[in-house]
Amino acid sequence: MTNASEVLSSIQSAFPGAVLDSRVESDSRLWATIDSKKILDVCKYMTAKLNFDHYSGSAGVDWIARKEMEVVEIMASHGAHQVVAMLKVKTPRDNPSVKSMTGLYWNAGWYEREIWEMLGINFEGHPELYPLLLSDPLVGAWPWRKDYKGYPDLTTGERAVAITTSEGYTEYTFPPTPAEIEAGTVVTEHPKYPTFREREEREIKSDSEMIMHLGPQHAMVPGPFLLDILVEGERVKKAFLDVGYIHKGIEKIMENRTWLQGITYTDRMCYVASLSNNECYCGAVEKILGLEVPERAQYIRVILEELSRIQSHLIGTGEFLTLIAGVGFAPWQYMIMDREKVISLIESVTGARLTHTFVRFGGVRNDLPEGFADQCRKVLPYMKSRTEEFIELFAQDPIYHARMENIGSISAETAKRMGCAGRVLRAAGVAYDMRREDPILVYPELDFDIVTGTRGDSADRIDCTLREILQSIRIIEQCLDKIPSGPIRTEVKIPKKIPAGEAYYRVEDPRGEMGMYVISDGGDKPYRVKVRGPFYATFQTLTPLLEGVYIADAVAIAGSMDGCPSESDR
Amino acid sequence: MGISDVIPVPVAIDEEIEKWTIFGQPVAEVWFTTTEKIHQIIEMGPIKNIFNWGRKNSVYFLMQPMGCCGVEMFVFGAAPYDSDRFGCIPRNTPRQTDVMIISGYLTRKYLPVFKNLWEQMPEPKWCIAIGECAISGGPFYDSYNIVQNTGDHFPIDVFIPGCPPRPEQFLEGLINLQEKIKQRKDRRDY
Repeated sequence: MTNASEVLSSIQSAFPGAVLDSRVESDSRLWATIDSKKILDVCKYMTAKLNFDHYSGSAGVDWIARKEMEVVEIMASHGAHQVVAMLKVKTPRDNPSVKSMTGLYWNAGWYEREIWEMLGINFEGHPELYPLLLSDPLVGAWPWRKDYKGYPDLTTGERAVAITTSEGYTEYTFPPTPAEIEAGTVVTEHPKYPTFREREEREIKSDSEMIMHLGPQHAMVPGPFLLDILVEGERVKKAFLDVGYIHKGIEKIMENRTWLQGITYTDRMCYVASLSNNECYCGAVEKILGLEVPERAQYIRVILEELSRIQSHLIGTGEFLTLIAGVGFAPWQYMIMDREKVISLIESVTGARLTHTFVRFGGVRNDLPEGFADQCRKVLPYMKSRTEEFIELFAQDPIYHARMENIGSISAETAKRMGCAGRVLRAAGVAYDMRREDPILVYPELDFDIVTGTRGDSADRIDCTLREILQSIRIIEQCLDKIPSGPIRTEVKIPKKIPAGEAYYRVEDPRGEMGMYVISDGGDKPYRVKVRGPFYATFQTLTPLLEGVYIADAVAIAGSMDGCPSESDR
Repeated sequence: MGISDVIPVPVAIDEEIEKWTIFGQPVAEVWFTTTEKIHQIIEMGPIKNIFNWGRKNSVYFLMQPMGCCGVEMFVFGAAPYDSDRFGCIPRNTPRQTDVMIISGYLTRKYLPVFKNLWEQMPEPKWCIAIGECAISGGPFYDSYNIVQNTGDHFPIDVFIPGCPPRPEQFLEGLINLQEKIKQRKDRRDY
């Protein structure tokens, strides 16, 4: 078993002088500042020798007082050990530039594009440094920098000016207001890059090829995204993904709210899994504060998060089954009806259907209501029988099998390399679950299995999801038996100003591994909150998966990932 | 043009018919005239009420989930709350819909697409804004990427507050819209 200090000493002996600063927080967390010239070699060494095969994302931080910017690479392992290494690379603020990780890790592409468009940090050697989330007029404003003044921005309807393009489309632009010109936030120098439309049109090589738009409006995906496929006949030759249609800038907004107000924004990040988002943020803050959560509160959190997982899986599967039309409009109605039972259980505790703000620093907001356990014991066996019925139903249906089996298959090796999360990874046969990998709350005391598939295709993903519901029911039943009485919140008074520090906290979201990187500078507001969303990680793999499939299968593949674009856009 | 120009009838009958009126207009001007005339008659008369009665009972809405309210919209359209009871059925394409529900945050990147969707919907059409984000920006009021006043872009008839509103509130908003259509008080004045 490797632990953080062993990893640190191994790096230090292999690259003397490369580690400028380091801190071993616990056995599973390592913080180190690496020399920017040696970062690629260090990462290569860690992947090859120390089993850090999971590039889990990167975060950009603007340290305006120190006149430098920081890129934090988050490295972990797919089950070989439990160390998460946070490697920081510093770069001057005037002309920020670091080396790109895209040569080593396939999935670094999106993370670096996001940091570039938001903070203006250049990545040397990135093959396609184009904006990901922002619309073209905003690129160059670098909105996540601390000195961005276009905030609040009064985007009123009167400002929108309609322009008819040469192709006959109507487009709208926002000319700057006098206040914005005075504040100096008008983007004068736009970086030059080919737009999304130009990028996809230059891939058209012959007259028999054309581009088909799927989206941005989708009827059954809880958020818009644009999927363009280049088709020749019935085959998809290449796919292009444009996201950011519901990019709200949550990470920036949270920097301008108090610590407690921040919880409400985590709700709205992924609204079908708000409890695990709450947990992730609160857990990170508790880590900075060094708080212990009372045992009863831990059990309440686990119960609610598992209930939330059940309802998320039900709505995700239901949506998907309507997409592959002809198979599943009836299951959709049944699943939504069953989901209402779970939602009313959650509502009886939290008082809200979707946006709960229930988890608080050092505990939960309120105790379970009277009779909750009895109500749960009534609903859970029903849910169990229904889920078993669904599994059986899909196992028997020949149309479902024809449409789903061996469609969008992904091998374990590829899934690991591309940094997939959640069901896509587990359906490929990798038992990677944060509840086991980075145990939080009372999960180590509970008995449950990690559901894995064998083929990694669309059918496996849905099967895994449904079987996960059964495991969640198992966890809740154990919790109801074991839950002790006692306080539901820590007796320590939570200060308004959180002491300076940083933490990275991981939970198992219904869609996979979710991490939040929270930095405090000792103020009453977070200095930086970085969200490592699970669907953001999985979403990238959609385009390579679609190459070479039939057009009809594109929907079966995209839908089986259980997308929540709101969480990937933030 | 009188009736005797078309059918050979005695002039006396023609003169008699010219005295008849319908909704205050001479019948002779109404019969055997252009479609524009007929539309005029519909505009002023109680026939319009019959049209709007039909319209109010078949308000199909566009499935266009954009945020938390979008998830509630799924539930609103599905079995537990069953919007179908009120003639309100979810449709997947704008070409088949009458009502656009702005179900969440409208970003700068999405606004042009959203306007296109609105323009693709056939007349008559109505718009409902659901949730705080669609009404005023809500919790994201000071974001750099959110369009705050959707009312400036779309003729919104009903605002349903909440973050997100419950499906019951969706139903109430829908009934309010139907009442507005029935009383001919909607923004686009059908």
